[in-house]
Amino acid sequence: MPEVDMDWPWQYNFPPFYTLQQHPETRAKQVDAWKSLILNYCEQTKTYTIDVRETENPLFNNTTINRKLDGGVITSILSELQRTGNACPIDKNKHRWEIYWHTIEEWAAIIYDFVNERGLQNTVVTLYELTQSEDNKELMFYGMHREVLIKVLRELENQRKCELILDDDVEGAKFF
Amino acid sequence: MRRGIGVGAIRKERLTQERYRGKGNEIQENQFEQMTKQMEVFKTNLEEFATKYKNEIRKNPEFRKQFQEMCSSIGVDPLSSGKGFWSVLGIGDFYYELAVQIVEVCLATTAKNGGLISLDELRTKLIKARGQSKTHQDISKDDLIRAAKKLRIFGSGFNVIPMGRDRYMVQSVPGELSMDHSTILQLAEKNSAHVSNSQACKELNWEEERGKKALEHMVNQGLAWIDSQHPQEIQYYFPSLYTACINSNA
Repeated sequence: MPEVDMDWPWQYNFPPFYTLQQHPETRAKQVDAWKSLILNYCEQTKTYTIDVRETENPLFNNTTINRKLDGGVITSILSELQRTGNACPIDKNKHRWEIYWHTIEEWAAIIYDFVNERGLQNTVVTLYELTQSEDNKELMFYGMHREVLIKVLRELENQRKCELILDDDVEGAKFF
Repeated sequence: MRRGIGVGAIRKERLTQERYRGKGNEIQENQFEQMTKQMEVFKTNLEEFATKYKNEIRKNPEFRKQFQEMCSSIGVDPLSSGKGFWSVLGIGDFYYELAVQIVEVCLATTAKNGGLISLDELRTKLIKARGQSKTHQDISKDDLIRAAKKLRIFGSGFNVIPMGRDRYMVQSVPGELSMDHSTILQLAEKNSAHVSNSQACKELNWEEERGKKALEHMVNQGLAWIDSQHPQEIQYYFPSLYTACINSNA
């Protein structure tokens, strides 16, 4: 078992889990299991990006049973996750992916709730304060990647709940 | 001539035969009447017995099994009698309730096992699901097999597959499984839930084609998963026999 703090599902050590199944119903079950495993893994390990070419990733490479998931299969599963707003490719070749265990819309609601709880409306909160501050270590979005955070704030901007500021000297957002 | 060949002799012989026949019928009728009486008495006693030990039958699985066997030996099926005396006992209800719960457990686990479950796993999960009820009853494997067999009236959707040595699997999706398939299941059960074609053919003394056909059928039924990353050859895995799958609640 790789040294990752993770509650692996039973399928993780099931060798055929790493071979794309041909029977349609079985394959549907397999893909569903992979989708939730990817999201759970990324949430538990706070992994915001996945590179399909990275063959040593314990998520797709189980060294204990000597099985790994083919890159092409990974890409097709990530594409499925993209349809539900849980993943998005960040390069043209679809090698690198952002993973959203909460969709951008869900993250937007989570962050906006936090802002309201702390009474931070009408002030400028820096990106650093939001996701890197020691005070916020317990929060769900602590450590969120800058690129993902900006997408979330853009979503809030579209909902007219904040204004994103990306100046050279200040990177933050003013919430309404 | 000593033998009577006259009309009188013929008449006499016919009369004798008729008397024999009459006596024979009489005896038969007597016996039949007696047997009927005995059966009546036995049935009455059985009913009395059942009423007297109603609670014991409901609670004790071993007792229940013996009672069932006793009933079936005289052609009484407490399960099929929803009306009249036997319904008072609620024995039929007990098995109907079990049957419904069997369907529930099978449905809930189909997603992971493809509709095939060992009787042991079924029993564990069913008992767990019943847990909350106040009147706790022990459920034996025999009870489950009886109840599951009742489900056959719904067509080929439900099947109890004997696996030898008091081991059974319950199949809850339509699709016939032949002897070949259950033989393969038995082999996989002994081999950590997987088997390859050459292994099956070697163990069972089959032609390669026979094994291939059986294994592919099980893949097409959603009962087996293919692992093509084994260093030697393709392995066929059965989630319904895979320990980690059995123990998972997902």
